[in-house]
Amino acid sequence: MLLSPYRVLDLTDQRGMLAGQILADLGADVIAIEPPDGSSARAVGPFAGDDPGPDRSLFWWAYARNKRGITCNLDHPDGQDLIRQLAAGADFVLESADPGAMPARGLGYDDLSADHDGLIYTSISAFGQSGPKAGYQATDLVLMAAGGPLILSGGAGEAPVRVSVPQAWSHASGEAAIAAMVALRARSKIGRGQHIDISAQQSVAAATMSANLAASIGAAETARVAGGMAVGPFTGKLIWEVADGYISLTFLFGSGIGPFSQRLFNWMYDEGECSQDDRDLDWIGLGAEFISGARPLSDWARLMEVVGEFLKKRTREELFAEAQSRSLLIVPVTTVDEVANSEQFEAREFWREHEMPGWPDPVRFPGPFVKLSDNEIEYRRRAPTLGEHNAEVYAELGLDHDALSDLRERGVI
Amino acid sequence: MTTLSNAPGIPAEGALAGLKVLDLMWVVAGPTATRAMADFGATVVRVESTNRIETARGIGPYHNNGQGPDHSGLFGNMNINKLGLSLNLGTAEGRAVLLDLIKWCDVLTESFSPRAMRAWGMDYDSLKQIKPELIMLSTCLFGQEGPLSRVAGFGTMGAAIGGYIALAGNPGGSPIGPYSAYTDYLSPRFALPTILAALDHRDRTGEGLYIDQAQAESSLHFMSTALLDYHVNGRVPQLVGNADPDMAPHGCYAASGDDDWVAIAVRDDGDWANLCSAMGQGELTCDDRFADFAARRANEDELNGIVATWASERGAVEIEYMLQAFGVPAHAVSNSSAAARDPQMRHRGHFVAMEHPEHGTTTFEAAKGQMTETPPSYRSVAPSIGRDNDLVLRDILGYDDERIAELAIADALT
Repeated sequence: MLLSPYRVLDLTDQRGMLAGQILADLGADVIAIEPPDGSSARAVGPFAGDDPGPDRSLFWWAYARNKRGITCNLDHPDGQDLIRQLAAGADFVLESADPGAMPARGLGYDDLSADHDGLIYTSISAFGQSGPKAGYQATDLVLMAAGGPLILSGGAGEAPVRVSVPQAWSHASGEAAIAAMVALRARSKIGRGQHIDISAQQSVAAATMSANLAASIGAAETARVAGGMAVGPFTGKLIWEVADGYISLTFLFGSGIGPFSQRLFNWMYDEGECSQDDRDLDWIGLGAEFISGARPLSDWARLMEVVGEFLKKRTREELFAEAQSRSLLIVPVTTVDEVANSEQFEAREFWREHEMPGWPDPVRFPGPFVKLSDNEIEYRRRAPTLGEHNAEVYAELGLDHDALSDLRERGVI
Repeated sequence: MTTLSNAPGIPAEGALAGLKVLDLMWVVAGPTATRAMADFGATVVRVESTNRIETARGIGPYHNNGQGPDHSGLFGNMNINKLGLSLNLGTAEGRAVLLDLIKWCDVLTESFSPRAMRAWGMDYDSLKQIKPELIMLSTCLFGQEGPLSRVAGFGTMGAAIGGYIALAGNPGGSPIGPYSAYTDYLSPRFALPTILAALDHRDRTGEGLYIDQAQAESSLHFMSTALLDYHVNGRVPQLVGNADPDMAPHGCYAASGDDDWVAIAVRDDGDWANLCSAMGQGELTCDDRFADFAARRANEDELNGIVATWASERGAVEIEYMLQAFGVPAHAVSNSSAAARDPQMRHRGHFVAMEHPEHGTTTFEAAKGQMTETPPSYRSVAPSIGRDNDLVLRDILGYDDERIAELAIADALT
């Protein structure tokens, strides 16, 4: 596998576990380190059978895959010593503790890199390791507010609304995986590792699609449009109600999207549902006609209504099928069950299964995030149970059965 | 904020200095990944054509609300530090230049719909015959095969068919979804680590790699728990507004300003007591209706009414400071002007200003990762179409005047 030579100590909790998972999927030996009473991620729901328990958190199942799991008490001096020994043999450390917490334990970047300058140490936090808000309390909703995506999602004049599956820490974890890999390339050049500081607030800003630059470049704030987006003076409606639910139709003009709109109107005309004049509009140059005033903006609203009426009479399946044969920008708005049962993902053999302890049936997981021509991503380990790999990992430090029993009795592991 | 100077060129320093990337991608998902490589020192040649203007050039925010191919703040943000080459791939001469660039590069990235590269004889299987160590990324909505692989798609459609639109909205209402092309923001987080891992592997083994990314598939890893909840528990998420399964109160509350909102999240009874103190309503902590999470959830409408009334009398930023002083998670819901003023974003240097030939100055976002040894560098604004043709054709490919003139006559550089 691509990253087989490398070892990662993953000290993150639910705020950073996707980072180590990306590296683990690419083949790195990732060791997830939990407190002796279990990672706080094991308490994150939902739970298998809606029955909370350390081995039933679906979050843990999802984001500890391909990692080995050991326990270690980071607040115990002997536990800190074990981490220092393990870090000496690692290429990467990932951590998501509150800023300052790791240095206070003697496990900060300066501590672990002192005798190991090749170490790549990545810190994930809500607002970054320093600055006026570094000590802020944060949740998913708070971070989506602070980084800019939230204000853009929702109806005009209504409260902004978030994606109900928490997203912010995944954005930060993804950026952490990227930066850690950049640092690996740098290490081969400069011969040493470094400290990487990832802020979730900055990471989620990617989900504004640059709307967060408006004020800085003299543009108007981006209007909040339920099920759409503002494109200059135009409303680009993206979510449309149809006979049996909703679809996404990208409907606009210009050289990129205009040809698709032209084909939509060709179809509508064939069905007798738009005028010849509308069909024969200059779908590439229409925007310029509106902006110059040659055509009133109200005509755009009228065209959207014509399209809306056409769509309302048709089902999602019918529209999606026609979209494929006519090359239109239409897809159904799909719910999670439909995603799980999609023919497309099935045809690409996307899903993977693991047997999970305490659960009777094989559990199906989202499969490899990319397909590779060689060194394919393998689902080689399910998420570990608490301390599952203590013996094999600590044996590498020369700790035998008796030594481990002693550490266990003293609450170190 | 210092304004940096704009000087397109081949970077000599950085974590990825010396790395050569040929970027045939467009809009957001692809260019985000190549921008990150450019920020850390890679030489990225971005190919465009005037025959099909890049969609991002038409998407806002627009510099000074103006119109034109170089007014888009989105395109500007996605393409700093890259070299811009205009190439007409509809001509054989243009495709010959492309092939020379493929021989030059370490990494080839493309986001055409499947089959386009194959039609030109530039699919991975053909290219690896001439360049076995090539690393090639093909990224599109559904990947290179499967019944939907020919569905042309933007990230807005990925958000719809990938399940994200149906995850945001108010109870009983229409789905609203996250803003715009949501899967475009997620897929680079998987493409880029893979490319960098492939480069490391190539340096050790000499082997190249083909990466087939279906953006819809990558993006499902940001909603794994929902997929598992369906598979294991049979549950399909409903539209719940900002309600949270474990927290109450939890939502966006209207503050006193215009479109002024504050997000507040109460994680536990401790946060609740602190919120009551911050609101000056300590008596609520003894109110049985709100005694614990279950009670607060059962009486959420009354609870939200109390918080909403209190919030409506103050500004969102003031509320953020008040609640954070009591240790309660809260933040103003930032728009672009709030983000530009945000003391933490300023501390992080999130917004970077640079001279711009058309606009005087422009602003883009900094690289996300802050790195102690190999910081990113900001060298040039996003290219106007064909800005760096000379640099690419002469300095990188070593073409002479005659060759360049022939290309121009053949309409290959439009």
